Amino acid sequence: MRRRPGIGGLQNAAAARDQYRMLGENVAKIRTDMMKEQLATFRSQLEEFARKHKNDIRKNPAFRSQFHEMCAKVGVDPLASNKGFWAELLGIGDFYYELGVQIVDICLATRPHNGGLINLQELCNLLRQRRKSDREAVSEDDCLRAISKLKAQGFVTVDEVERRLSWTSGRAIDALDTLLDEGLAMIDDGHKDGRRRYWFPCVSSISTSVADT
Amino acid sequence: MQKLGDFKLPHFFNYPPYFTLQPVRDTREKQVQVWKELILDYCRTQKIFVIGLEEDFPLFSNPVIERSLSHEAREAFISALVSEGRAEWLGKGHRKCLILWHRIQDWADIILRFVKDNGLEDSVITVEEMRSGVECRGTELHGIDRAILMRALRLLEQKGKLAIFKGTSADDEGVKFSM
Repeated sequence: MRRRPGIGGLQNAAAARDQYRMLGENVAKIRTDMMKEQLATFRSQLEEFARKHKNDIRKNPAFRSQFHEMCAKVGVDPLASNKGFWAELLGIGDFYYELGVQIVDICLATRPHNGGLINLQELCNLLRQRRKSDREAVSEDDCLRAISKLKAQGFVTVDEVERRLSWTSGRAIDALDTLLDEGLAMIDDGHKDGRRRYWFPCVSSISTSVADT
Repeated sequence: MQKLGDFKLPHFFNYPPYFTLQPVRDTREKQVQVWKELILDYCRTQKIFVIGLEEDFPLFSNPVIERSLSHEAREAFISALVSEGRAEWLGKGHRKCLILWHRIQDWADIILRFVKDNGLEDSVITVEEMRSGVECRGTELHGIDRAILMRALRLLEQKGKLAIFKGTSADDEGVKFSM
């Protein structure tokens, strides 16, 4: 654009700057929109993938681990909630929850021998032995994920335990009260929903010492 | 770390179960211990001398985690302080208490040091001056609860270190030291 002298020239220059700015904003917007669209496409393809390979994800620990990595890249956490698409599709939320409970169990049982510190490999071996009859194989990666999920929440209610492990109310309360008596859990009656929560301060120390191996 | 004004709150303050009185004895003891320390620490740094159990004492609830101590819990922690001689119930019913983050004897010692530091061994000073006058600025006596000050002074009077006398009005109570 040829520059003209005088006020007219200045006004032209200003108009030109405005036009370039608008163009720049549009380019930015187009790029953002394209990216959003790509992300949406990727997510739906990921869901498609998960549907197709559901069994592999469930049965094969190495495959499962890579699947998690792929999800993480797009900001999807299949374990973030026990509701919704991912949980229902894969049903793996319960798997990790159950694993978490078994891990706490094992740590409790071995505490007199190791003073509360357990090597991740050993934990996995004990876990596999315990789950010998169970359908799904377990890897160290699974253990770490289960522990980090337990740590994230930090507490359970009686309902949750009953539901997830298919225990009776009596059995759930017994188990939780045992942990309470052992000094491994604390009660919390202060939530506005009126339901008692059992918190596990020990889980933080379990997850820190296991994670450090 | 969460803060209440300038005061740094300990980690347990953000952990919901600590706001429920624990049923298991060992856990309860640990819980009472940390709450006692917190209450004393907070009162000392904020120069709080009286706590009303039914009032909005900031330590009794944590809006961040949506938890509040029940009256039973408040009573339990304060009673533990009372047993240790670090608090006293005021009036009937466990509703108000005096917090002795310094014991009366400690306050008496502080007064003696104050007298020496200011060369008041043979002087006279009003009770009000002791807690709000120029000399007490920057010392622990500044802003002390009047009732607590009187108790410490009476303790020293019994030991013959001073004499309390009434002035022309209630505000004019004075102290003559004879140390």
